[in-house]
Amino acid sequence: MPREVILDTQGRAIEQTLRLNNLAAQSCRVGRFVELTLDGSSDVSKQQADKIAKFVLHNPLLETYELIALGEVMK
Amino acid sequence: MTPASARLGVVRFPGSNCDRDVLSLAQVAGYQADFLWHLDHFNIQDYQALVLPGGFSYGDYLRAGALSARSPVMNSVRDFAKRGGPVLGICNGFQVLTEAGLLPGALVKNSSLRFRDGWVDLVPENKSSFWASQHSQWKVGGQLKLPIAHGEGRFYSPPDLLRQIEDSGQVWFRYADNPNGSLANIAGVLNETGNVAGLMPHPERALWDWMGSEDGRGFLR
Amino acid sequence: MKMSSALAKKLQTYRISFAELQEILKLMKRPAPIQNAHQEWDDVQLNPVEWAVFSALWSEHCSYKSSKIHLRKFAQTLDASVVNAEGENAGVIDLGQGERIVFKMESHNHPSFIEPYQGAATGVGGILRDIFTMGARPIASADYLCFGDEFSGRMGLLVDGVVRGIGGYGNSVGVPTITGQTNFHPRFEKNILVNAMSVGLLRKNEKVALSAAKGVGNQVVYVGAKTGKDGVHGAAMASESFDANSDAKKPNVQIGDPYFEKLLIESCLEVLQQDLVVAIQDMGAAGLTSSSFEMASKGQVGMRLNLDLVPVRDSTMQADEILLSESQERMLMVVEPHKVPKVQSLFQRWGLDAVVVGEIQSARRVQIYFHGEKMADLDPDWLVENCPRYSRPFEPWKSTRVFENPDDLLDAELMKVLQQPMGLKDWLLQKSSQAQHAAKTPLYQQYDQRVGLLTARGADHDVGVLRLPDSARGLALTVGCRPWLMEIDARLGALDAVLYPSFQMSLKGFVPKGLTDCLNFGNPEKIEIMNEFVASVDAIVETSLLLQAPVVSGNVSFYNETLGQNIISTPAIGVVGLREDIRELPEDVFLAPGLDVWRLSHSAVFTSSQSAPKMGFCGDFGASQVMSWVQWMKQLRLLSQLSGVRANQMVSQGGLLLSLVKMVQGGVGCKLTAPLSVSDLLQEVLYQSVWVVEKSVPFGDRAKALGLQPELLGQTQLDWFEVREKCKISVQDWQKLNQNSLRRSIESLA
Repeated sequence: MPREVILDTQGRAIEQTLRLNNLAAQSCRVGRFVELTLDGSSDVSKQQADKIAKFVLHNPLLETYELIALGEVMK
Repeated sequence: MTPASARLGVVRFPGSNCDRDVLSLAQVAGYQADFLWHLDHFNIQDYQALVLPGGFSYGDYLRAGALSARSPVMNSVRDFAKRGGPVLGICNGFQVLTEAGLLPGALVKNSSLRFRDGWVDLVPENKSSFWASQHSQWKVGGQLKLPIAHGEGRFYSPPDLLRQIEDSGQVWFRYADNPNGSLANIAGVLNETGNVAGLMPHPERALWDWMGSEDGRGFLR
Repeated sequence: MKMSSALAKKLQTYRISFAELQEILKLMKRPAPIQNAHQEWDDVQLNPVEWAVFSALWSEHCSYKSSKIHLRKFAQTLDASVVNAEGENAGVIDLGQGERIVFKMESHNHPSFIEPYQGAATGVGGILRDIFTMGARPIASADYLCFGDEFSGRMGLLVDGVVRGIGGYGNSVGVPTITGQTNFHPRFEKNILVNAMSVGLLRKNEKVALSAAKGVGNQVVYVGAKTGKDGVHGAAMASESFDANSDAKKPNVQIGDPYFEKLLIESCLEVLQQDLVVAIQDMGAAGLTSSSFEMASKGQVGMRLNLDLVPVRDSTMQADEILLSESQERMLMVVEPHKVPKVQSLFQRWGLDAVVVGEIQSARRVQIYFHGEKMADLDPDWLVENCPRYSRPFEPWKSTRVFENPDDLLDAELMKVLQQPMGLKDWLLQKSSQAQHAAKTPLYQQYDQRVGLLTARGADHDVGVLRLPDSARGLALTVGCRPWLMEIDARLGALDAVLYPSFQMSLKGFVPKGLTDCLNFGNPEKIEIMNEFVASVDAIVETSLLLQAPVVSGNVSFYNETLGQNIISTPAIGVVGLREDIRELPEDVFLAPGLDVWRLSHSAVFTSSQSAPKMGFCGDFGASQVMSWVQWMKQLRLLSQLSGVRANQMVSQGGLLLSLVKMVQGGVGCKLTAPLSVSDLLQEVLYQSVWVVEKSVPFGDRAKALGLQPELLGQTQLDWFEVREKCKISVQDWQKLNQNSLRRSIESLA
């Protein structure tokens, strides 16, 4: 998600459209959802996901990230 | 010959940037043109044809054309199209028409993931009932030279819809040399009745020789 | 000098020197600093808002305090064609027939190094605002970029990010980016240069908008995006360390929104055309602070500002943060009270807020209120007119890398290699695939060239050309400055920065009409840098006067250095030119076989762009030589209009042979038959030009009649680039190599 202090231009534009169509929300912020399927136990894969997030998925100047475990995948 | 009172409506969204350019297309074809602001409804009897111009309406945010397609003016545009009025979507306008359901398919990011500016050769396939219908260079299998400038011009549609588009003669143009990964090299499509048309290249940018091509002239008659 | 830690911290945070502080207190008639019992200087009587305002307006970036005394020299280049230049954001040149152009160039070097996409994007946004704030619709943009040597690692990401940022902003806002220059050189490895230029058009009867605030009782109106903490560093403003966990210490990167800017362009131009506004200025560097104080100072009036009324994104913002915010896409206007409702409803139609935030008053003070308290009461002249002007030490220019003999400039080792059978061919192919010489197509293909319907020639040509809508005349745009020449000699490089692009456009029949500059230098406190700065300014003034092309606007970027290492001093220049029409402009490359290839030279200076000790020059570029080049330029311009001249080109870095092979970009080759020696083919000479002419045209005679010395080099031909028996390259192979070099690098990043 964009950092709080960073201007979210997409969110702002969507807010405008919602207002025009009487579907106003208090605020709208737009981020990215990346789904990673990893090997190993939930701890190991969480660590790996964190590494991946830091390595390439997010730009720390502009974004924050959060890891959400989605559960196991049946082979 | 167009009657002196022929009026073209140019729909303007916040962020449209080829709106003023389309006025030149109108002028060359002898039409009077009006801007139709996205917040307003308009009287569909007042216009002989409508153009949704290129640009970056709403900054292309969320999905290109997505927010514009939900503007109040689209109600009038929909009415106009339902009654068989000619509607042309150029580039971003094409994206708006697909998002509004007035044309089939969708436009997504170029396969190169980069904005691409350049010239393309278009191969005409099926005729629209209005747009470029009297183009002097139109020849099935022939070519028209027009410029492109877009980042989200790759035409996509799921397989059965694609079959439908092909079978019902709704493919308007194909690229001779696909610049963006469009499915089946589709550069432009028509609706079922042929009055609504959309294409990614810009006919309004090819009006005079010094621009690099005059093939845009015949699109509005 | 011992200071209380409170005072020391403030001086560091706000980047104000002790001497400057003393000056400030004197101006404000506050008590001078006092030393306490421990011989330390105590903290002084200035509140955070006052500190912030002086910090912003007395910064190098806003005040040009280190360069102003030299920049004043540009005023002597102004002539009758310049309109309303005094103190305005960008210069205006009258082209006659009611058409006036506004243009300026600006740098965004440091932000682009940190966040290349947003840094470049906000650079473009900023320069566009400088244009339309004058009431002119922006019609074209150009970029001047300098990167490190090759596409390795981080540099590749920087190139990619900057190009995508320029395209992303420019394309979205609907202004075509029609020309530019991209250099690759190791000296820019740690400090890249991103300079953005824009040109705007004022058509007949459209008025130039001014920025001087006027009219007691007039309302100060804020329009555009809400103010956020962009550019403000929070509690520890001078902190430089990045800590992955402390969010507060990361810079608040300025985000540009071209969509918002487009709304601003349309609404502002409408409001100006309907004569609803007395004065307008964009909020650029130092945002609300610079615009309010500068407008008040220029108009010689006072202003009351209520910061509570400023639309904010973050309700916790303090007064100094609101004042210093660099949130993009905001303008400040002065509007007569009875016109305010109409102004507001116009902006509302475009989806923008126009809010009254203050009022013009007769007392010559800018008073800033926040939460009911008066935070500052300052004479605008203290901030603008009374800003310190530093005369940094410098010495008159002395060229040092002088060689006696042009042959000494040639690398003996390289010459030996080139004499061998495949030597020349290998050298040419190797050079053609280097980033510096490779085709820049994959970069400029990301820029919309044709929005606006004015583009006759875009970035695939050396010189961008627009067709003016009302008069149908041609407007040319080029940027210049060759860092490899600047490295050899600053005066020579600066002369060339103006002359070379002027030559390029003269070859197409254009007359240079005006210049803008973006002076990128290292640390001005180092005397050798200051020497180069002064020498550059003087050289630009000299050429500007000779060309009768006034310098109407400009920008200075100092401190482009990292760990003591400076960039090559780079005075980038933007040139605009005029031609009566756009018919039969000569091309830049070989497009057809069977044409004669000629060379026209005015060889005064030989250079070597290889690394030291061979880096240097041989020849004279004193005042009379420069005059002589300018004369020659006029003759080339005349010759360019001869029917049958199909293409022409200036000889550039690497010499004649490399310049000729680059003309193979057109898909056609040539056969050189003239008895040229290897040194003749490789020597870098200022200046030489290549001409491609139809055989039926008596080009040789025409040239001689103008007093020139034409040499017939050979003919264009299909399929091969041949130099007698010395070298033979297939056109197809060369094109593939030259085109794919950068393309592969860019694609590997996707």
